[in-house]
Amino acid sequence: METLALIETLDRDGRPCQVLRVSQWPVRIGRAIDCDLVLDDPHVAAHHATLFWRADAVHVEPASTVNGVRLGKAVVAPFSTPPLPPSRLLTLGATTLRVRLAGDALAPEQRFVDLHRHERRHGVTLAVLIVLAALWHGFDQWLATVPGTPSYTLAWTYLGVPAALMLWCVAWAIGSMLFQHRFAFWPHLRVALTWLLLGTFAKVVAGQLAFALSMPLIDKAGRIVFIFAVALMIWHHLELLVPRLRRSFGIAIGSAVVVGGGLLLVARSVQQEPLVGDLYLGTISLPGVRLVKPVSADAFVKSAAPLEKTLSRWAKPGDDDDEGSGGDDD
Amino acid sequence: MALLDSRHGDTAEGLAGLRYDGSMLLKRLFRYRAGRLFAFVLAASLGPWAHATPPVARQPVSQAAPAARPVTNAASAAQQASDAEDSGNLSASARRIYDVGRPRLLQVRTLLRDQDSQASVGSGSLVGPDGLILTNYHVVSQVALEPQRYRLSFQTVDGVTGALQLIAFDVVHDLALVRMASPPATIANRGVFEFRPAATPLAQGERIFSLGNPLDVGFAVVEGTYNGLVERSFLPQILFSGSLNPGMSGGPVLDDKGHIVGVNVATRRDGQQISFLVPAEFAQALIASGAHAKPITTSVETTMAAQLMQHQQQLTQRFIALPWRETKHAHYSVPVPQEDFMRCWGSSSPSDSKGLSFERSDCQMDTAIFINESLRTGDMSVRHEVYDGSKLGALRYAQEAGESFRNEGMGRRTHDLTAPKCREDFVDSGGLTMRTVMCLRAYRHLPGLYDVAVLSQSVDAKTEGVQGRFDARGVSFQNALLLARHYLQGFAWKR
Repeated sequence: METLALIETLDRDGRPCQVLRVSQWPVRIGRAIDCDLVLDDPHVAAHHATLFWRADAVHVEPASTVNGVRLGKAVVAPFSTPPLPPSRLLTLGATTLRVRLAGDALAPEQRFVDLHRHERRHGVTLAVLIVLAALWHGFDQWLATVPGTPSYTLAWTYLGVPAALMLWCVAWAIGSMLFQHRFAFWPHLRVALTWLLLGTFAKVVAGQLAFALSMPLIDKAGRIVFIFAVALMIWHHLELLVPRLRRSFGIAIGSAVVVGGGLLLVARSVQQEPLVGDLYLGTISLPGVRLVKPVSADAFVKSAAPLEKTLSRWAKPGDDDDEGSGGDDD
Repeated sequence: MALLDSRHGDTAEGLAGLRYDGSMLLKRLFRYRAGRLFAFVLAASLGPWAHATPPVARQPVSQAAPAARPVTNAASAAQQASDAEDSGNLSASARRIYDVGRPRLLQVRTLLRDQDSQASVGSGSLVGPDGLILTNYHVVSQVALEPQRYRLSFQTVDGVTGALQLIAFDVVHDLALVRMASPPATIANRGVFEFRPAATPLAQGERIFSLGNPLDVGFAVVEGTYNGLVERSFLPQILFSGSLNPGMSGGPVLDDKGHIVGVNVATRRDGQQISFLVPAEFAQALIASGAHAKPITTSVETTMAAQLMQHQQQLTQRFIALPWRETKHAHYSVPVPQEDFMRCWGSSSPSDSKGLSFERSDCQMDTAIFINESLRTGDMSVRHEVYDGSKLGALRYAQEAGESFRNEGMGRRTHDLTAPKCREDFVDSGGLTMRTVMCLRAYRHLPGLYDVAVLSQSVDAKTEGVQGRFDARGVSFQNALLLARHYLQGFAWKR
C-alpha cells in the first residue's frame, strides 16, 4: 500500500526513536494495544488522540485525557480539532511526535563531517600548539630557577601547569559528553592552547615593547589583550559544547567582561589605583632591548611636577572619606 | 622603640598594654634586618602569653608590681652604675626624689568622650601656675586629632582628679602642654617642677630618676643613669639607662636636686634598659611659647603640618648638604648616606648561592615622628642592592632583576595617605642608565606634606646591576623632587 505519511516519535535530542508508516487515516494514538501508534509514556492515556486527514491537512482530535495534546506551547482545547502547525510537531503527555507527509519537500543532503577525521586534520595544528606551549612553559620555568636546581624539583614545578590544563580540558570534555555525546578532549585542548598562547604572547611582547620604548601603556594594552584572549577561550569552549547557542554565549561572555571589568575599574578608581595593570612597569629586559635614550636625573624629576596636582586632588577631604570603614590597610 | 603610653584594647588594661607593645616591637624590629628572626620569635611568644593569661589571675600581680618591680630595676641599674655607694643610700635618694616629685606628678588619661573608659594612659608633671602640665604629644594624640571622640583627664598621686585641656604641642619632639580645666583651690600648694639650668649639663653616668605610672599599676620612681645624647639621631634624645614602661610616657625625669632634665618618651624592646628621654630644653621652649595659649578647640592639623614642614626643611637641607659616601664597588658608584643621623646595616647573599649574588645596604633614621597609631613620619631611608648575576646568564638575570624591581611596595591608600602616583622613565646618571620610578603620596590630613619613594634599577649590563631605593616621609613636594634628584645623581658608572 502507498505510504501517506510517517509519524516519528522523537527522543530528548530530537531524533526519531520509533517510526510508524501511515497508509490510511485516521491514526489512533495511545497506550492501549488496539491503537495504531502505541506509546509507552505513562503520561499518555489509553486512547489519547486521533490524527485524521481533512481538507488536505492533518488534524488532531484529543480524546478524554488528563494531560491533553499540545501543539508547540498551545494546549488543544477539548472537542476542538485543529490542523497541525507547519512544523507538524505535537506533544502527547511527555512524548513529542512529528508527522511527515509523502509530498513534503526534503532538506538538501548535508555534507557529512567525520569528527574523527576532522580532528585528525587539526592534528597537525594541535601538535604544533602542544610543542609551542611545552617549549614556552619550559623556557618560562627555566627562567625562574637558578642553575643547579635538581631535575626532579624542576619536573615537579614543570608538570603543575600541564596537569592543571589537562583537568581544565577534561572538565570541558565531560561537558561535551553531556551535550554532544562524545568526549571531545582534543578539540577543547586546541581551544585552550590557542588562546592561552596568543594571550601570553601578547602580554610578553607588550611587556618587552613597553620596556624598549619606555611606554608603560603598551604593557597595559598587553594585559587587556590577555584578558580578552581568556574570554574568547571560554567562548570557544562553550561553542564546542552547544554550537547553536554561539551567539547567546558570545553576548553572555561579552556582558560578563563589560560588567566585571566596569566594576573593577570603579573599585580601582575609588582606591586611587591605576585602572589597568601595576603602579609602574615591572619589566627589566636585556640592555640591547632598550630603544629610547635615557633622560637626565634633573629632567626626570622635573617631569614629575604634574603629579602634585593629581595628588592634592586625591588628598582633598570629603567625598570618599573612608572614616571608620576600615580603610587603613597598612 | 616603643612609645610609653599604655594603650588599652577591649579587655583588661595592662594586658592589652603588653599586647600593644608586642606589635610595636615587631614593627620596630622589622626595620632591622639582623633582628628579623628575633622579632618573629619574640612576637610569637609574647602574643599567646598576653592572650592566655586570664585577666582575673593577673589582677593581684599587677597591684603588687609597683612596689616590687621598679625597685629591683633601679637597684640593678645602680649596681652597674656605681660601686662606691651602698644600696641603703640609693633607695634613700630615690625616696627623697619621689617625695619631692609626688605632689606634682600626675597620670594623664585619654577617655572616650561619652564614657569613663580609658583609651590610653600616660604621665605628666606640673610645670606652671594654674595647673599647667607637661606630657608627651603621643599621650594626648587621640584627643588632639579626634576631639569629638576623646577627652582628657588627670589623676594626682593622692587621688585628685579633673578634666584637662590641650593648649600647645610640639609634634616633632613629642611634647604637649595641657592645663587643668578647673584647677583645685589648693593647686598652688603643690608647687611646680623646676628645670635644671642649661649652664650645668649632666655628665655621663650621673644618676637620674624617672617618674610615672607604668602600665597603669601605680606611680613609681625608676632610678637610672644619664648616658648623653643618642648617637646618630637627627632629633636629640637622651639615652637613659633605666627601665621605662608603657604608661610612663610624659613623666618627668629628675636630677638629684629634683630638677627636670628630660621627659620619658620611648624604650627599645630589643635591648635591656635602653630608654629615651626628650631633653628638657625642648620642653622649656614649648612652655616659653605655649604656656599662655588658649585651649585648642579647632583642628590641630594646620599647626601640626607647619611644625612638620619646618622639620622637613631642616632635615632636607642637612641631608642634601652631606656628600654621599664612597662605595667600594668596582663598577658602580651608589648613593650611600653618611651616618651622621642614619644607621646602615649591610648583608649579602650566602657565598655558596647558585643564583643571584647580592650585597645589600640598608640605611635609615632612628627617629620617626609619631603622628598617630598608624602614622610615623619625618624620616628617611636609603637602601641598595648590588647584583652579580654571572652565574645566571643574561636572560635569567634580567628575569630576577625584574622580579626584584616589581615586588617593591609603594603603599596603598590609607586613612592618612593617598594612594601613590608614579612617574617612570630611563634615567642617566654619571653614565649609568637606570629604569627609575618615583612615587609620591600626599598626606590626606596634613596639607602640603608628601611621602616620596625613588626606585632605580640599572639596565646597561647583561649580568650585573644595582638597584636602589630612597624613601622620605613627610616632605614638601619641592623637597621631594630635590631629594629624588640628589639621590639619583648619587649613582654613576665607574670608568
